[in-house]
Amino acid sequence: MTNFIDYLLGGFSNGAVIALMALALVLVWRSTRMVNFAQVGQAMFTTYVALTIQQSTGNWLLALVVAIGAGAILGVIVFFLVIRPVKNSDSTGAIIATFGVLIALQAGAGMIWGGDPQGFIPPVDNAGLEFAGRIWPISPYDILVLSATAALVIGLTLLFTKTSLGLSMRASAFNPEVARLSGVRVNRMLISGWAIAGATGAIGGVLIAPASTISPNSFDILLVFAFTAAVIGGLDSLIGAVTFGIGTGLVISLVSGYSDSGNAAIVALVLLALNLLLKPDGVFGHHGARSV
Amino acid sequence: MNNVKNLRTFPGNRIIWHAVIVGIVWLLLLLLNNNIDPLYSSYLALVAMYATAMFGMTILVGLSGQVSLGNGALMAVGGYVFALTSMNWQTVPIIGWQWNAVWSMVFSGLGGILIGGIVGGLAARLRGPYLAGLTLGLAVGVPAITNRFPELLGGENGLMLSVPYPAGGYAALDSALGSSSDSSSGATVDPNSAVEEDQYAELDLSEFEQGANPDADLAPEDLLTDGDLLTEEDFGVGDQLTDGDLLTEEDFGVGDQLTDGDLLTDEDFGTGTDLAVDPTGITDAFDSGFIIERWQASMAIAVACLVAFAALNLVRGRQGRVWKAVRDDPVAAAVVGISPSGSKISAFVVSSLFAALAGAVFAQILSFIGPGAFGLGLSLSLLVGIVLGGRSSLLGAILGALLLVWLPELVDGLSGDRGWPEQITNNAPNLLYGLLVVAVVLAAPGGVTGTVRAWVDKARGKTRSPLS
Repeated sequence: MTNFIDYLLGGFSNGAVIALMALALVLVWRSTRMVNFAQVGQAMFTTYVALTIQQSTGNWLLALVVAIGAGAILGVIVFFLVIRPVKNSDSTGAIIATFGVLIALQAGAGMIWGGDPQGFIPPVDNAGLEFAGRIWPISPYDILVLSATAALVIGLTLLFTKTSLGLSMRASAFNPEVARLSGVRVNRMLISGWAIAGATGAIGGVLIAPASTISPNSFDILLVFAFTAAVIGGLDSLIGAVTFGIGTGLVISLVSGYSDSGNAAIVALVLLALNLLLKPDGVFGHHGARSV
Repeated sequence: MNNVKNLRTFPGNRIIWHAVIVGIVWLLLLLLNNNIDPLYSSYLALVAMYATAMFGMTILVGLSGQVSLGNGALMAVGGYVFALTSMNWQTVPIIGWQWNAVWSMVFSGLGGILIGGIVGGLAARLRGPYLAGLTLGLAVGVPAITNRFPELLGGENGLMLSVPYPAGGYAALDSALGSSSDSSSGATVDPNSAVEEDQYAELDLSEFEQGANPDADLAPEDLLTDGDLLTEEDFGVGDQLTDGDLLTEEDFGVGDQLTDGDLLTDEDFGTGTDLAVDPTGITDAFDSGFIIERWQASMAIAVACLVAFAALNLVRGRQGRVWKAVRDDPVAAAVVGISPSGSKISAFVVSSLFAALAGAVFAQILSFIGPGAFGLGLSLSLLVGIVLGGRSSLLGAILGALLLVWLPELVDGLSGDRGWPEQITNNAPNLLYGLLVVAVVLAAPGGVTGTVRAWVDKARGKTRSPLS
């Protein structure tokens, strides 16, 4: 039982990062109705940028801020150079193009920073806290990750529900034609969606890096977990992405704890396949007309 | 005009035509294989292997419109089935015939069909991004799955294959490796004098089986007990190494250092050891010596040609039109009596069969199968190749396969001249692939073949979709 509680608690921090990546996927889906498979590639790239900043200045907060900016800019660049030109052609091409971006980003990062895994020093202690006579699997750094994620989710929720920008973004996602007729600059909303998604992914990348190491391919598995969480959540639901992102983190932690961390990928695959079979629109998804 | 001609063509005619075309290409490739340097034969083997897998990608991604990143994983299925069946089975189950490599290929194909059917059944219910995500999970999950069954699949280290070289092949390889200081005649084997028995079968499998159960040979008194543990007392104090035991420069005499005079010169190598290609021509080279790259290439070419024949008949026949119809308009296809999900599943099964065969070939080329070589990178390569070559044409698959093998060599050659750091050289091909894929999707969705065909059509005054 103690084990169970430990594994469960240990999964929250990873779950928060998966939730952030899933959020990024959802934000892109809401703005352009496509899955950005390059999302973790962008996050990996900006995390390397953050690593460089941290290594040269030693300032973690500065590194995070630069990564957020770089993430937003990279998102906008990918949108302008790749997504907007391809969007109206075939949907197969759009998916392939995002994989092209992923391949290029991974190779580019390998060129600049090399392929060897590098460590990322956390800003606060990453060892388990001692409390009530035992060591808990939650570190000060985990608490930082969880609070940063919570702040971001609250911020995004407020943005989408309380501001006119959020309302315009929701309108363009829901029905671009009508939104355009009502005077919403749909194109700007799409750009904002990609920028916010890029920034969110960048935060996720910087937060996960100290928990493991960073290498050009180290986030591949995160893409699978985030995609699983986003799809189970319904792909266009922010709350769904967060809920199932954390849920995926907990399941992975339990599986890794009781068997072997290598099995986590298999479990994610099974979860994804089951969900796509039983409830393809996701748990929080909107049921819409679907082509055959 | 074209349509009328197609209607008039009797399907039987078409199959004969395809057989003739593939047969001629096969012969030409074999001729090429026997006349080029063995190094180029090894490239040829890789191109044929990639092309085999990418014929399946043409059907799945191009004609059926399903983006799959799982075909690398499906190749792994074929490779593992080949490795396991060729290592463990000496007779064909149920029929009881003598086992040989062709049976392993057959079972690899069956394994591909089985897994392809399962994944395809799932895939038929999914639209574009969902399918891509699911198959991405499959590709990323391969190492995890092999680690899950370390005894059976060898875990991260994979399995070494006993490649079914032809009779005399192993002997030729052994003598080539063992007697390299000898004359070159040692590296050749006359197939006529070679023993009739398959060298491969001679590798006594029962030895492995005995080795797998070592406890059987041990009597209980042979087992080690706690009393047998070595303690510190078993090592005398004098046995420990002290600083004085360190070797110093004085321990090496001056005469032990190598000087320029010790360099090997050309004269130290006899002229007979040059590994030059036999100048007397194809037949001699083929008859008198076993060259592993040639064998790999001819094996890969044989599989690629058989697969190409099947693919040609499928793509240019009724089934090809069914796949395109469902891709372009599933509702209209359903209205005329085509089952959209059936079409998608059949595309998956066919591409999975091809992928599994390619995987079995790849495993034989590497003489090894492991998760590292069959991960996400391989799946992405297949996607890159098919997009660059031309998504919906079999010729595009071949061009893509050529590009996948040639581009890294080109970059390597360029960097060798300029002395680029390894970090740049290793990543440059992938950077190019990524950028090229984006550029092709944006500017020329039909890839090389689609673009060329569009030019030809334009010159003739016709128009059609670049992906048709």
